Amino acid sequence: MSLPEFDFHAPGTVDEACRMVAEYGDKAKIFAGGTDLMLDMRRKRISPEHVISIPQIEELKTIDQAPGLLKIGACVTVSRIVKSKEIGAKWGALCAGGKALGSCLVRNLATVGGNLASARPAADMPPPLMAYGASLVLKNTSGERVVSLDDFFKGTGVTVMTPDEILTEIRIPEPPAHSGAGYFNLGIRNACDINILNVASYIALDGPGGAVKSARIVMGCVAPTHVRALAAESLLIGEKPSEALFQSAGEAAMKAATPRGSAYSRASAEYKKDMVKELTVRTLTMAYREAMGLTA
Amino acid sequence: MKKLIRVTVNGVEYEVAVKPNQTLVDMIRYDLGLTGTKNGCGEGDCGACTVILDGTPVNSCLVLAMQADGRTITTIEGVEGKDGLHPLQQAFIEKGAIQCGFCTPGMVLSAKNLLDENPHPTEDEIREGISGNLCRCTGYLQIIDAVKSVSK
Repeated sequence: MSLPEFDFHAPGTVDEACRMVAEYGDKAKIFAGGTDLMLDMRRKRISPEHVISIPQIEELKTIDQAPGLLKIGACVTVSRIVKSKEIGAKWGALCAGGKALGSCLVRNLATVGGNLASARPAADMPPPLMAYGASLVLKNTSGERVVSLDDFFKGTGVTVMTPDEILTEIRIPEPPAHSGAGYFNLGIRNACDINILNVASYIALDGPGGAVKSARIVMGCVAPTHVRALAAESLLIGEKPSEALFQSAGEAAMKAATPRGSAYSRASAEYKKDMVKELTVRTLTMAYREAMGLTA
Repeated sequence: MKKLIRVTVNGVEYEVAVKPNQTLVDMIRYDLGLTGTKNGCGEGDCGACTVILDGTPVNSCLVLAMQADGRTITTIEGVEGKDGLHPLQQAFIEKGAIQCGFCTPGMVLSAKNLLDENPHPTEDEIREGISGNLCRCTGYLQIIDAVKSVSK
């Protein structure tokens, strides 16, 4: 199947790219890694008049680890995240999410920004990024705004981005001492599959062996967008971690999940709900072990 | 409208007029005549179109030809050295890692990139390294054997 006809643009800077999206608006599509966009164009789901390529823009490819804050350029490939020892040391669940995406060939093209902006409910990068409390920098010709990833997704394939905006950077706070996170994705293969379900959990403890100070649990594939299991999170706060506590958080997350079951969503709703509980318990356990400094 | 791009493939510099909606795999096959690179699924699942772009193996069906402007590409035709086949290619023959051959160019390039980055991979690392390349004939075991035999 051939691609629809379009004009191709390769701006050299973010400013130039912003001017282009301002001019072409919704007639244009941004090409980051292309691993989703090329499929959508080939299957004629979309036929943009203009394709604006951004992976060649150097300023979108930097990883900057400032004190307390990790800044990842939107066009950093998922491979680079997976291979980064610095990211792996402090944001291990993010690397786990990256490793679950596609195959190593796909990860060499796929970008972290693209995996967010395409807003697919089964995507691998949103759960760990939301669990770590990431925010996104959106730029247009008149300036920039920073939005929390919690508020970014509006529906499947829909985000708060306006047609004149470009996602330029992902900002991830450094996890405090005695915190940890875990990611687990359930699919039918280890590579090149679409998740049946994915969950990321993060907890911070009030000192070693202390009570849970803050918690975030993020579920994918159970709603049109990634969602947080807020009831499960609040149930953890102020409590000492235990298997029973994680089990009840799993129950609460299961109640909050509203998956649809069909051949298209790859599993029945009942199965997904059961697995939400299981994966919540597992990822909370991973998070707890990391928070306690216990290695796998 | 076609645009002239400059690209270095297997050490040879080419100037090619490409269309905006032309993929890199189509440019390599139809404009350069290098048909060792295969066009399989067209969606980044099968890896038959694998080429090494600026040192990184990618699915050339997911890259636009215009995005290759000014860049360096190695295809399967560029793997062979002056003294004949690359040791990996020889190992594929000796271990029976080829049947129909459609996946082989991509498989060899992914394996070559793996060994360039990690000369002594574990079996899990080999499996991971070729996870983007599907083979429907061999069942992968002979391919893993071939890669292992070169890594020793």
